[in-house]
Amino acid sequence: MALRVTSIPALPRVNNGIGRAWPLFTTLVMAVLTMLPVRIPGYAALTPAFTLMAVYHWTIYRPDLLPSTGLFAIGLVEDLLTGAPVGAGTLVLLIARAGVLRYRRLFVNRGFPFVWAGFTLLAAAVMGMLWAFNCLIMLDLIDIRATVFRLVLTVAAFPAASFALGRSQRVLIDAHA
Amino acid sequence: MIRPSVQVRATLQRTTPPLLILLSVAIIILGKADQTMFESLRTAVADRAAPLLDILSRPLSAASSAVDHARGLVEIYQDNQRLTEENTRLLQWQQIALKLSSDNQQLRGLLKAIPESAVSYETARVIANSGGRYVRTVMINAGTDQGLARGQAAVASEGLIGRLTEVGSRAARVLLITDLNSRIPVVVERTHANAVLAGDNSERPRLLYLSDSAALQVGDRIVTSGEGGVFPPGLAVGVVASLANGIPQVEPFVELSQLGYVVVVDYGLSAALPPPASPMATRASAKAKGSDSSAVVR
Repeated sequence: MALRVTSIPALPRVNNGIGRAWPLFTTLVMAVLTMLPVRIPGYAALTPAFTLMAVYHWTIYRPDLLPSTGLFAIGLVEDLLTGAPVGAGTLVLLIARAGVLRYRRLFVNRGFPFVWAGFTLLAAAVMGMLWAFNCLIMLDLIDIRATVFRLVLTVAAFPAASFALGRSQRVLIDAHA
Repeated sequence: MIRPSVQVRATLQRTTPPLLILLSVAIIILGKADQTMFESLRTAVADRAAPLLDILSRPLSAASSAVDHARGLVEIYQDNQRLTEENTRLLQWQQIALKLSSDNQQLRGLLKAIPESAVSYETARVIANSGGRYVRTVMINAGTDQGLARGQAAVASEGLIGRLTEVGSRAARVLLITDLNSRIPVVVERTHANAVLAGDNSERPRLLYLSDSAALQVGDRIVTSGEGGVFPPGLAVGVVASLANGIPQVEPFVELSQLGYVVVVDYGLSAALPPPASPMATRASAKAKGSDSSAVVR
């Protein structure tokens, strides 16, 4: 079961304050990025799940620097600011972190297509879960088409986010480890 | 600072994630059981985050203005021709409107009708949206400091977009008419049939409880009925776009996914709603009403 806790591996210590705060900071930036009003028709409902990309990336490469408490706080702020049912987004992010942490060894030191495929599976699971939770909370069957489009956009936007996060990781974290 | 021992830290590391997951579940259940529970927390967080979101959304706003500007330059000649034609037509309408207005005043005088309450406007910029969540709301950069209050109508130039559901001191949330929780008393302009416009998170809200559904046609204009006392009657909402499966769907006049600025209108109808809790808030809103709005309408 994904919820079973996997301990965080011992990773090289980062001797750089900015580097240590970087994963949490970028995850927060991704959360804010999700909310910014871009005037593209239909964008608000189909905004890619940027926060999930940061969670996936950092849980694979530096899970020690993305603690569950920090992620909980970011998820809660995102839920409160977007006006969504409080807790649903937070819960999904925490479950995603637990799940990725369990299988992270499969993804470390693997080529990008493999990592991307892993993200596609995660995003599909997460979107499905979010959809189901929201249907339960609102006691209504929500049209799933928007969710499917959002999944496609999220998977399509992942390479750019992954590239940016990977580059910043090399400069701010790996170089100081 | 005392550093916890290795064992303590390992235990904490192992127990924290499941505890937080359980806590999230508890929060969801609490929020569902008592809808107002997180409202003050929401407004507090929104107030804190508003200045940051305001700054961050500016470049996006500027970028889309630039795009609009460039597009405008390309279409300038056609626009000019169209506007000249439109202007001629509108001048005729202006004459009619002036005549009707003076007629109206005279007739009101004859009837000794109570004058309509003053309407005040506040323009605000959209600083955040729902970011792919299963809600249709936008956050705007104005709140009680600008005289806004819960329940007020948010409109764009084309018509109604929603109403204020949470109002902080400098940020407020607009529940759009497409949201699953939005219910607005409306009337079909042509047939005067009453209905409720219910959002379902899609682009086109549905008409429920229509009193005379047989007479409804595609293209009928839907306006607010004024029932319930939140919106004034006659505010433009949308047109009937389809009647598929017996469920009439309404296309809103306003392109809700492209909102840049919204106008919050106080029709003086909020007397139906409970008054502000503290005298401080009353003073702040009185002060804000006195000063003019600094925001610019697009």
